[in-house]
Amino acid sequence: MSIFIDRDTRVVVQGITGGEGSFWTKHMIGLGTYVVAGVTPGKEGRSVEGVPVFHTVRRAVAGHAADAAMIFVPPRFVHDAVMEALDAGIRKIVTVADGIPLHEALRIRAAAREAGARVVGGNTSGVISPGLAMMGMFPYWIDRVYKPGRIGVMTRSGSLTNEVTAMVVRGGFGVSSLIGVGGDAVPGSRFAEFLPDFQADPGTDAVLVIGELGGTMEEEVAAAMESGAFRKPLVAFVGGRTAPEGRRMGHAGAISGAGSGSAADKVRALEKAGALVADRPAGVGKLLARALGTASP
Amino acid sequence: MKLHEYQAKAAFAAEGIPVPNGILAVTVDETVAAADGIGYPCVLKSQILRGGRGKAGLVVPVRGADTARREAARLFASEQGVRKILVEEAVAIDRELYLAITVDAVEACALVLACADGGVEIEELARTAPRKIIRERVDLDSGLLPFQARNVAWSLGLEGETAKAFAEVLEKLMRVFRANDAELAEINPLFVTKDGKVLAGDGKLSIDDNAMFRHPSLEPGRDYYDSDIAFEAAKEGIPYLQFGGDISLMCAGAGLATTVYDLVNYEGGSVANYLEFGGPNYRKAVRAMELCLGNDPKVVLIVTFGTIARADVMAEGVAEAVASLKPRCPVVVCIRGTGEEKAVGILRAAGLEPLFDTEEAVRKAVALAKGGRP
Repeated sequence: MSIFIDRDTRVVVQGITGGEGSFWTKHMIGLGTYVVAGVTPGKEGRSVEGVPVFHTVRRAVAGHAADAAMIFVPPRFVHDAVMEALDAGIRKIVTVADGIPLHEALRIRAAAREAGARVVGGNTSGVISPGLAMMGMFPYWIDRVYKPGRIGVMTRSGSLTNEVTAMVVRGGFGVSSLIGVGGDAVPGSRFAEFLPDFQADPGTDAVLVIGELGGTMEEEVAAAMESGAFRKPLVAFVGGRTAPEGRRMGHAGAISGAGSGSAADKVRALEKAGALVADRPAGVGKLLARALGTASP
Repeated sequence: MKLHEYQAKAAFAAEGIPVPNGILAVTVDETVAAADGIGYPCVLKSQILRGGRGKAGLVVPVRGADTARREAARLFASEQGVRKILVEEAVAIDRELYLAITVDAVEACALVLACADGGVEIEELARTAPRKIIRERVDLDSGLLPFQARNVAWSLGLEGETAKAFAEVLEKLMRVFRANDAELAEINPLFVTKDGKVLAGDGKLSIDDNAMFRHPSLEPGRDYYDSDIAFEAAKEGIPYLQFGGDISLMCAGAGLATTVYDLVNYEGGSVANYLEFGGPNYRKAVRAMELCLGNDPKVVLIVTFGTIARADVMAEGVAEAVASLKPRCPVVVCIRGTGEEKAVGILRAAGLEPLFDTEEAVRKAVALAKGGRP
């Protein structure tokens, strides 16, 4: 089982003829993703990896009933691309570009909420259900990281995800679905918004949150645990515990400031809500074992 | 990109927000001439980006030309790297307010923050008096509606002409926020004068880095960075932070770099600099290592686990960097991800020992740093 994407999700790739678009379309198909159409304005009639290309998302949806959009366009065109997908009736969107202007990120999230849609990203590798399908850019062939299993993963980072997920696998586990919400200050979707899906997914036994300093997404996860909305075991790793205050380390979404957003505050909130928090990536395997060993079935 | 106070105030004034009379000076003589022109008493305000300028003695009132000259000389000679002084008229104030606009990432809108107790940092207010902070959410497209400005003004206890003047400042600040792609537009303190006028006592304006292409005139200069190397890195588009320790980090991916920073500290080591050698920069190994070596570190620690940033390409870059820069310090490499099998051979051929475990690499780097130079 999985959340967000499976073998039946009908994906249209926006920006399919670009370098990244065509390269990752090949690999998405390689994993088993059902890529039904691509879009590049002005290039209708071509095909990429056997996938037909259309001028617009509307035309792709009309011809191939796409119900998910994978966006590979440069950051300053992402707002337009997301609005085009929403306009065509698509309610599941992944955008990977790093560098979406902040005010456009706000508009993207506002429009998605208004439409009842989900936008994942930007500044992310995307979403993958190992062994099934992916929307994004994951080296799924590295099987010491992308092994199918029963742990749901949510992350704000790319390379750190490879690092930490390798520790999930080293601990004897695998991944049901991995959602990269991305490293931007205003991601399209937030950690806590996927907890109901993981709660409902019979293929997920526990969730691993790979967080970092800055923002309030980890605190929102803690709140969902405290309220009882999320009841499965949850393990977390939070990067930036030794970061100096007030300096932006890493992602735009990561700035340590007094009072809220520090890694220490996040760890405290998560632990208070009953999460097990690893202080280093190598610790997550053991904590997952402990969490699952003690959890009620 | 954080702007200096004088730039923020110029942006405010351009939208019609009242600011005190001020003149920017870059030498002692200019400062004295500006102070003479504005008249005494006036205030010398060092234009640096760190907070707490007042407490650090970097904002000083002066009552005459002699003190203006002495204080200007002191400020320009200070260790804080003051290069510009804003000379401003002293304003007879009745009270100080806090006013800012930032983003609400959850509700996906702009967020107005206001408080009747100005002059204190918002983080401090959030800690000590969170109930006193007034919040008003604003749709980015419709902008601030007049009733919202009135809501805030009345919540602050303002009345009559002052409430009206405040509401106007708030509407103009929202225009500044939108026109400049701001992450933060803050006036703290916002002065209310004895005759009921409202004007910006200070100004913070932080522009979204991802929107800088829309603001090409705002090219940040050397005085926006805390070291020469940080400035060089910024010109290359390489994320970089200066620290004072022994180990230069050259890591791919912001999250991984932050985690390696933690692990070095856990192991009792210290970080000389944080440098992100990933994303669009993964082919810049030579330049990245050159920047790191500028700190004369005891160890360069390279940790990556990339997807698009291919391990073999990064390994080739590191091999080339080691060959051309001939670092005097050891280089610890842990390069994994797409193409890692090929990377191993490249690193070995360059005389480096490829490691695969982040913590092992960190421990090795810390041990080497403690053991001194080989």
